[in-house]
Amino acid sequence: MKNYRNFCIIAHIDHGKSTLADRLLERTGRVSAREMTMNQILDDNPLEQERGITIKLHAIQMDYKANDGETYKLNLIDTPGHVDFSYEVSRSLSACEGALLVVDATQGVEAQTISNLFMAIDQGLEIIPVINKIDLPSAVTTIDNVKQQVIDLIGCKEEDMILASAKAGIGIDEILETVVAKIPPPKGDPKAPLRALIYDSIFDAYRGVVVNVRVFDGTMKEKDKIVFMNTNQTYDLDEVGVLHMQRQRTGILEAGNVGYFTAAIRRLQDSKVGDTVTLANNPTTNPIEGFREVKPMVFSGIYPADSDDFEDLREALGKLSLNDSAISFEPESSSALGFGFRCGFLGLLHMEIVQERLEREFNQVIVTTVPNVRYKVITTRDEILWVDNPSQLPNPTLIKEIQEPFIRAQIIAPSEYVGTIMKLCMDRRGTMLGQSYLSADRVDMTFDLPLAEVVFDFYDKLKSNTRGYASLDYEYSDYKQGELVRMDILLNGEPVDALSSIVHRQKAHEWGKKLCAKLKELIPRQMFEVAIQAAIGSKIIARESISAIRKNVIAKCYGGDISRKRKLLEKQKEGKKRMKQVGKVEIPQEAFHAVLSID
Amino acid sequence: MRGYYLHIPFCEKKCSYCDFYSLETTQHIDAFVETLLREITMRADDATDTSSTTPVTSVFFGGGTPSLLSPATLTRIVNHVRAHVAVAANAEWTMECNPGTVTAETLQGYAAAGINRLSFGVQSFTASELEFLDRIHSADEASQAMSLARAAGFENVNMDLMFAVPGQTYDTLQYNLQRMLALQPDHISAYSLIYEHGTPLFAKMKKGLVTPTSEDVDAAMYALVIDTLTRAGYEQYEVSNFARTGKRCMHNRTYWLCESYTAVGPSAHGLLGSTRYWNHRSLTQWTAKVHANELPEANRETLSTNEQLTEFLFCTLRAEGIPIATVQQRFGIDIRTALAEHLPDWMSADFVRDTGSHLTLTAEGYRVCDELTLRMLACVE
Repeated sequence: MKNYRNFCIIAHIDHGKSTLADRLLERTGRVSAREMTMNQILDDNPLEQERGITIKLHAIQMDYKANDGETYKLNLIDTPGHVDFSYEVSRSLSACEGALLVVDATQGVEAQTISNLFMAIDQGLEIIPVINKIDLPSAVTTIDNVKQQVIDLIGCKEEDMILASAKAGIGIDEILETVVAKIPPPKGDPKAPLRALIYDSIFDAYRGVVVNVRVFDGTMKEKDKIVFMNTNQTYDLDEVGVLHMQRQRTGILEAGNVGYFTAAIRRLQDSKVGDTVTLANNPTTNPIEGFREVKPMVFSGIYPADSDDFEDLREALGKLSLNDSAISFEPESSSALGFGFRCGFLGLLHMEIVQERLEREFNQVIVTTVPNVRYKVITTRDEILWVDNPSQLPNPTLIKEIQEPFIRAQIIAPSEYVGTIMKLCMDRRGTMLGQSYLSADRVDMTFDLPLAEVVFDFYDKLKSNTRGYASLDYEYSDYKQGELVRMDILLNGEPVDALSSIVHRQKAHEWGKKLCAKLKELIPRQMFEVAIQAAIGSKIIARESISAIRKNVIAKCYGGDISRKRKLLEKQKEGKKRMKQVGKVEIPQEAFHAVLSID
Repeated sequence: MRGYYLHIPFCEKKCSYCDFYSLETTQHIDAFVETLLREITMRADDATDTSSTTPVTSVFFGGGTPSLLSPATLTRIVNHVRAHVAVAANAEWTMECNPGTVTAETLQGYAAAGINRLSFGVQSFTASELEFLDRIHSADEASQAMSLARAAGFENVNMDLMFAVPGQTYDTLQYNLQRMLALQPDHISAYSLIYEHGTPLFAKMKKGLVTPTSEDVDAAMYALVIDTLTRAGYEQYEVSNFARTGKRCMHNRTYWLCESYTAVGPSAHGLLGSTRYWNHRSLTQWTAKVHANELPEANRETLSTNEQLTEFLFCTLRAEGIPIATVQQRFGIDIRTALAEHLPDWMSADFVRDTGSHLTLTAEGYRVCDELTLRMLACVE
């Protein structure tokens, strides 16, 4: 056990985490130079590579012969790189004894890095600071500043920092030596009752769920009967092993090590991240702390574009949830969109990923509604209702109060943008909780913000208003009462349930106006004039109208035009079918998430 | 009824808006005519054409500019058709003419050959509009052509008019209409300018050099055209076609009733029963095929019942109306029931009328014909 080292890399997107991981794999001979040509091996999902982020966790074991002559087994555990997945980050951190803190020499410390770093420090991890990209020409002017930021942050000495360039292969040996020297070997008793932490699980079509674990105490062997302590499910271990580039079967996994097992588990939900695995015949009484149920925070309706495809969509969501245990989905119906699902996501990025996966991997053509948060409604009879679909909000006379989720947002940016950021957050109903300077020109601001205000384009706005310099991290805080009302959209007097939203009373007017104007742009002219109205209860707060089609007829249709025209009509008819009908009004699918494109 | 179409693919000058196949030359006409005669023979001898038992009720020379043919050449073609194809004695023989290329002699020659209907591409009586449209004739030449036609004995003359031309105003359109009405044509085809893919006009539009007339102005101009022509005694019997009583174009009605028509010449489209074919859109390819004793078709397709239904509905709706009993007989569909969701609205909004035998469009209905068609087709699958 003394030759094991379990560690992860904490870094902001683009600060070079994946490149560094690749370089470590190459240096320890886990990957040949030929394999290196396909870059960034850990991010194996095409979506991850496109977005430059890690969604699913990966781990890999390397054999490293250190300068002391000993060979060490280094388990590098990857962490997801997005705030939507902060719980997964916390679980993968608790599988480690140390972390490499990678900071870009030209960019400095970012919000995401800080929150993950603090999480690591809280869990008692040994932090090894690495300043990356030192070979970039612009690093000459920025590196001292960046070093100072890191010193201020973790209180290390300048000589503790490793100067590296993953791209150029600088500092790689020093990193590996430091990992061996500084990160403590795992503690644990191989003879004690089994305690293993699930930090990730993935679904494999052939073996069922493959569970990735860190064993803290005890030993797991093939054929052992295991128990998941939180779900209380029992299984017989089929296959146990460690993670090289592929899974390497070893039959046994002992305290201190990181590896995987399979046990003919069919549902990802049975092996929840953060749960403790123990043996059925010799269980531990001491499960690993920190488990919590992952709760979706953002909700949206997902409907098949063609209502005949409802069952296909159900099947696709079912399959998708096999390897995404964070998504939730319940059937719902809408008068505008027919039958579909109300889906819950960890955050906006998670939502986008699910939508893209449905389209790319499962060939579903879907219509999505505007995302919203889950509201807590206290009725006049003091019942608590959780509302994740605005059209389900009870009649206002039955509501005592509505509460909405808030987040604590941390924004780090150059100090020249303080005013801009304050204004943006105030506009989003935020309250500033604190502000501190990381260096003379770099500020760290904390805000209390309603999640609903961040769900839309907050991140894009923040980035564009600060020329991309600001970074954002947030954690969920609590529910607070708000002056919230349901705003309905009516087309020719008929409410369109899928376009209802819950908004702050003071913002309803402006929001209603913008939404009506956007819908006017998106809904094509029809045979009749269409009135678009935004209403709170029976009160109309904004309106627009779309004038009727004035002329739509092609002047000529002679012998040579007929088959061409027939083919055109057949194509147009398909387009018409994809339109959703409310009363007599046909609505294109884009209109259902129109709000997302409002300025 | 049954039609016969001959495509004459030559023009002195091509018009910027026209997407019909035509070459800007008169050089190859003689060779073309020889090939055309061979195709006529081949088509007459085509054993696969089972629709040919019906006598032809209309023959149409289109183009291009058929009036580039000399009377002698035209006579040869007419005689060749008569020799190989069964043409009814009272058939309609139409020829498209450019008002700038006809003379008293040529018109008399065409009449003598058996042509009994002329169609003049007049388009406008306003010089700036004629220039925009690349027309080679003047307003006065159009008037003159009409006198010559009457003098030559033609009692069935169509004039084409174009509206929603960039630069056109309500006043110039009204002026064009009045000038045209003064000439008392028997039939008027009034088209809203179409920006066809692949035409120089389309390219200009894409480059922003030409701004199409807005939908609202186009609609208002269309209303003006319909109103003016119907007041002057012309009946609208199709989106763009107006005729005095008894002067509807037999040939075009063949298209709109989905009846068979043979077509010869490059790019020509024919319908034989339920088979549509189209000839090569290249004089060279078309010629080569005919000379190899092969039908010069680029392709053909046999329509499924559903496709036939689609064509029948959209063609009849935009013309004289959907014949309710025919749809029932041919396709087993009760069109009133199929459209039950929309018909009451359409009738109360005065887009559609139910005459008992037909569902016909009103002037308002013609204006939004394509939109109605799409909704109608969505109901009858």
